Amino acid sequence: MKKIILLVLFICTKSFSQNTEYIERQGIVTFFSYTSAENIQAQNTQTLSLFNTETQEIAVKILMRAFVFKKALMHEHFNESYIESDLYPKATFEGKIENFNSQEASQTRLIKGNFTLKNITKPVEVKAKILKSKNTYTISGSLDVLINDYNIKVPAILSPNISKKIEVTFSFKYSNYEK
Amino acid sequence: MKSKILNFIVLFIFPFSVFSQSLLEKLESIEPDSSQYVMATFKGTRISIGHSIETRKKNTLEVSFMSRYWNVPQETSNSFIADRMCTRFGADYGISDNFTIGLGVGAPNGIIDGYLKYRIIQQKIDNTGIPFGVTFMQSSTYRTRSIIGIEARNSFYEKLAFTSQILIARKFSRKFSFQIAPTFVHRTSSNFSIDDHNHFAIGFSPRYKLGHHVSLVSEYYYVANPLKSVKTYGAFALGVNWEVSKLLLQFKMTNNQIFNEEGFITQTIKNFNTRDGNFFFGFHATYHIQL
Repeated sequence: MKKIILLVLFICTKSFSQNTEYIERQGIVTFFSYTSAENIQAQNTQTLSLFNTETQEIAVKILMRAFVFKKALMHEHFNESYIESDLYPKATFEGKIENFNSQEASQTRLIKGNFTLKNITKPVEVKAKILKSKNTYTISGSLDVLINDYNIKVPAILSPNISKKIEVTFSFKYSNYEK
Repeated sequence: MKSKILNFIVLFIFPFSVFSQSLLEKLESIEPDSSQYVMATFKGTRISIGHSIETRKKNTLEVSFMSRYWNVPQETSNSFIADRMCTRFGADYGISDNFTIGLGVGAPNGIIDGYLKYRIIQQKIDNTGIPFGVTFMQSSTYRTRSIIGIEARNSFYEKLAFTSQILIARKFSRKFSFQIAPTFVHRTSSNFSIDDHNHFAIGFSPRYKLGHHVSLVSEYYYVANPLKSVKTYGAFALGVNWEVSKLLLQFKMTNNQIFNEEGFITQTIKNFNTRDGNFFFGFHATYHIQL
């Protein structure tokens, strides 16, 4: 009897601890490089992210191979020469949403955290829009990534084609995470 | 007593330990990184003179210009830079990511060629599965004119030759790749009865990357049953590949003038050295077009 109560208690605590966690498995991350010579755009629709409404923590994992380019050759160059995805297969973000209110329907908040790309971690601040509807949260926003910050080397002959500042936009729709 | 302690551990410490895991670590446990295919074992569809395991991506077209330049021995010539030259214009198209076809026309040797190439096995990045990539290549050529007179030239059929290759390559490290190419060449006719119609050969091709966009490549083909009517040597090439955005430039030094597999593998009549007549310099420019 005692054991059963304990088991029930255990299950309850487990399920309680899950309730504030939200997951997104097909988050969209897009990046743009605008230069007068060439515009480069790529989209990743397989971004994985977890969001805890109680601790206000957010974690994102972006697989570099999953970025889709309009041109196949760009995909190869991006992975092979610039991002070196064989060595650094993913980019990650771990941070906190400041003053997050889990009840508000629409809010714009600052997310502070660390962004890691090519094993280089830099603190970043992102202004994000958070929408709540029923049981889902949508977080979207954009940030600029400087390629020099993350050891992305562009050969001199191609520097007119690749912007020093890459605009990254993201849109994640979270639903309750149940195991 | 024991079970109480166990219950305590299960109840309080275990959920706590789950909590202490950071959100990012939790992400990793939800979806561990899946293993990816190795990219760019070689850069182009050709390593230097011969085919590589690489195919083109779907809906991409490559136009290429290949050339060889050489001097004729003991000639008092007034030629600028080189006495002779030979070129090939080609197009390669990716029907799917694993299937590429190509066509080419050579001038002035007048060889028309076509090939198809299918990627059968791809190497994985973390060495799970098969540790190398395999691509099948089949090419055929039609010789509109005689080059060194090996084939009989009485009918259309007699001017054809076919090459089948199983290209096996492994990317050992980020810089070093190596390819072995068992090759079968079938020529439909021979001018001399002592020459076999079928030849077996094997190619060895290493690649070493010197920088992000520059690599050093070499190739050597050994023929098991060479031609008997004429002394032949193994085809050899030493070259540098340089990639500039959509353009791939392949510079090479070699001992033959023919761009097609059946030609350079079985009919290389010069040994590799830097003397006039034996030394062939060439470059191969490939321009990439996304359709």
